[in-house]
Amino acid sequence: MAGNPAGEGEVRGERPVRVLLFKPGLDGHWRGILAVARALVEAGMEVIFLGHKPLEAAVETAIQEDVDVIGISVLSGSHLEWTEKLVETLEREGAREDFLLLVGGVFPFEDHQTLRELGADGVFGPGTDTRDIVSFIRKKVR
Amino acid sequence: MQADYQKLEEAYRAWVEERARWEDREPLFTTDAGIPVKELYTPLDTRELDYLEDVGFPGQPPFTRGIYPNMYRGKLWTIRLFSGFGTPEETNARWKLLLREGETGFSAACDNLTTLALDPDCFPGIEAEVGKEGVPLYSIKGMEALIDGLPIDRMSVALVVTPMAAPAITTCYLNLADRVGIPREKLQGTTQSDVVTSSLAIMPWGAVSPEKMLKLTCDLIEYTICRREVPRWNPVNFTTYNYREGGITSVQEIALGLAAAVAHIEELLRRGWKVDDFVHRLAFHLSAHRDFFEEIAKYRAARKLWCRLLRERYRPENPRAYHFRFHVQTAGSSLTAQQPLVNVIRTTVQALEAMLGGCQSLHTNSYDEAICLPSDEAVTLAVRTQQVLREETGVASVVDPLAGSYYVEYLTARLEEMIWDYFERIEAQGGIIRALQSGWIHGEMAEAFHKRRRDQESGREKVVGVNCFVQEEEEHQPSFRINPEAGRIELERLRRLRKERDNALVERLKDELRRVCERGENVLPVVYQLTAAGASLGEIADVYREVWGVWQAPVGV
Repeated sequence: MAGNPAGEGEVRGERPVRVLLFKPGLDGHWRGILAVARALVEAGMEVIFLGHKPLEAAVETAIQEDVDVIGISVLSGSHLEWTEKLVETLEREGAREDFLLLVGGVFPFEDHQTLRELGADGVFGPGTDTRDIVSFIRKKVR
Repeated sequence: MQADYQKLEEAYRAWVEERARWEDREPLFTTDAGIPVKELYTPLDTRELDYLEDVGFPGQPPFTRGIYPNMYRGKLWTIRLFSGFGTPEETNARWKLLLREGETGFSAACDNLTTLALDPDCFPGIEAEVGKEGVPLYSIKGMEALIDGLPIDRMSVALVVTPMAAPAITTCYLNLADRVGIPREKLQGTTQSDVVTSSLAIMPWGAVSPEKMLKLTCDLIEYTICRREVPRWNPVNFTTYNYREGGITSVQEIALGLAAAVAHIEELLRRGWKVDDFVHRLAFHLSAHRDFFEEIAKYRAARKLWCRLLRERYRPENPRAYHFRFHVQTAGSSLTAQQPLVNVIRTTVQALEAMLGGCQSLHTNSYDEAICLPSDEAVTLAVRTQQVLREETGVASVVDPLAGSYYVEYLTARLEEMIWDYFERIEAQGGIIRALQSGWIHGEMAEAFHKRRRDQESGREKVVGVNCFVQEEEEHQPSFRINPEAGRIELERLRRLRKERDNALVERLKDELRRVCERGENVLPVVYQLTAAGASLGEIADVYREVWGVWQAPVGV
């Protein structure tokens, strides 16, 4: 876990925005999600990065850690399947509405809409400027 | 060309004074690796170089100019497209298309489950990954379908997997080649089996530690080369391409490759082999990235450094051992999802770097690769890119044509120094395996990537279509899609195999593998029997996991 010094940066009420990031499935391309993690920390958010994690375990951590945002990154071509399964897992736990859900990675532009229909709140494809992710979270998490 | 250095220095100083009246666009120009670039290079910048010592003739030490005397006038580089998706049958059809269009070597892009040696039923939901990032080859049955009807007796195949899968997938291939009676001494191919790729560049899932992955790769080298079971195999490819894709510089790329090679050499020497028993079959897989001249200088410096490393430390007698043989892949990370056709241009320039740099084999990326796996049309264009350069530009007529360029010779010498310095820093960490286990190298990689991200987001590093020359309304072509039935098909293939095979034999052989692992013996002979008996990659690698445990990479935010 990485945090920011108290009293600095992004503050939501009494505490900074908390973000859980992980890689569902086996995809070993971690650079993108690590870059996002660093950018969010630099913007004053608290980031929990789990690396590879099964969906159920990641959702359990999200609930326990009371995070505001869950973000996944998929470069394996399985972005639709993992997004669908993540939303299902959250719904099963009755927790879908508790989190802002972000999906990033390498996938076709024509899939952005499908990902939103599956339940992603924010979709960030290749070439995304990390500052856009920061401002998206700031706008949505209050 | 003659140069009187004293006169030249005077003339140069006068020219610099004159030139100072002309204003530059930027205060500082640098290469991709951060080497400051002057506006002009002259004989003054290469005067420390001794032609015979530092540059020499191709086919002779230090091999700066190439490993063969006539280079592409004799044997052209191999056109080898990294390719695989869906099912083995669909990939076989793609490979046949590539062969028809002029490909001269095969390279299997495997899916995540295959590269990591996991079965598609290893946990619920994982069948979503079948065939997505490459071809699923979970057992000898998949391999059989992949190579069906292909001329593997005369064309080489590269099997791109981690050390977890390397012994199993290589023996699937060997079993099939043995069955059709291809003589072992004629069989050509490569197993990537790169420890650094599998513990740094592409983060592993369910893999053993770097130390044990090194053991598995050295088992493969020992079996194929030292014991001469498959004398023309390349049992490892130090895939610096994959490290480079993580954002590091060309300097770090080559230094890591050399450090990886040293770890394998040391391990095999420790096992009692002589350097001449294996070192001539070690090969590399490099990147071709954005900075045109620096990349060309990088290939020249890498050849020279390999020769220097072997001369200073190991002194093999076989002259071919000093040959730095390398495949090149154009840089996937330089491609953009925005305005994808522009990627054709990037790839063409990078392919030219590889040719001017004297590669032995080349993969050119398809223009749609920042979005999806390549379509038939895109991959054919990628093959044509190499063919146009080969047939229409004259680039294959002459050896190392940029030698003697003051700039390229200066850069080659500068990179040589910088790479050696970084190589020594890795050694100071205790070598590559220690640097992987401690996480030092992961930290270096993270810093490099964050710097690159900041440079791109601040616009310091220009990316056409992303941070400059952006099109607001882009038309998007429909993307290539993977067969959604692949998961079902492969689960069924595995179920059928498990029903048909002699399960008692598989269990007996797994017990034997367990004993071999516990005793630290070479796993290849029993893995050869296991794959012949129909054991899956996952079942074999589960034994490694059970005996040696699973490694967690030291990576944090």
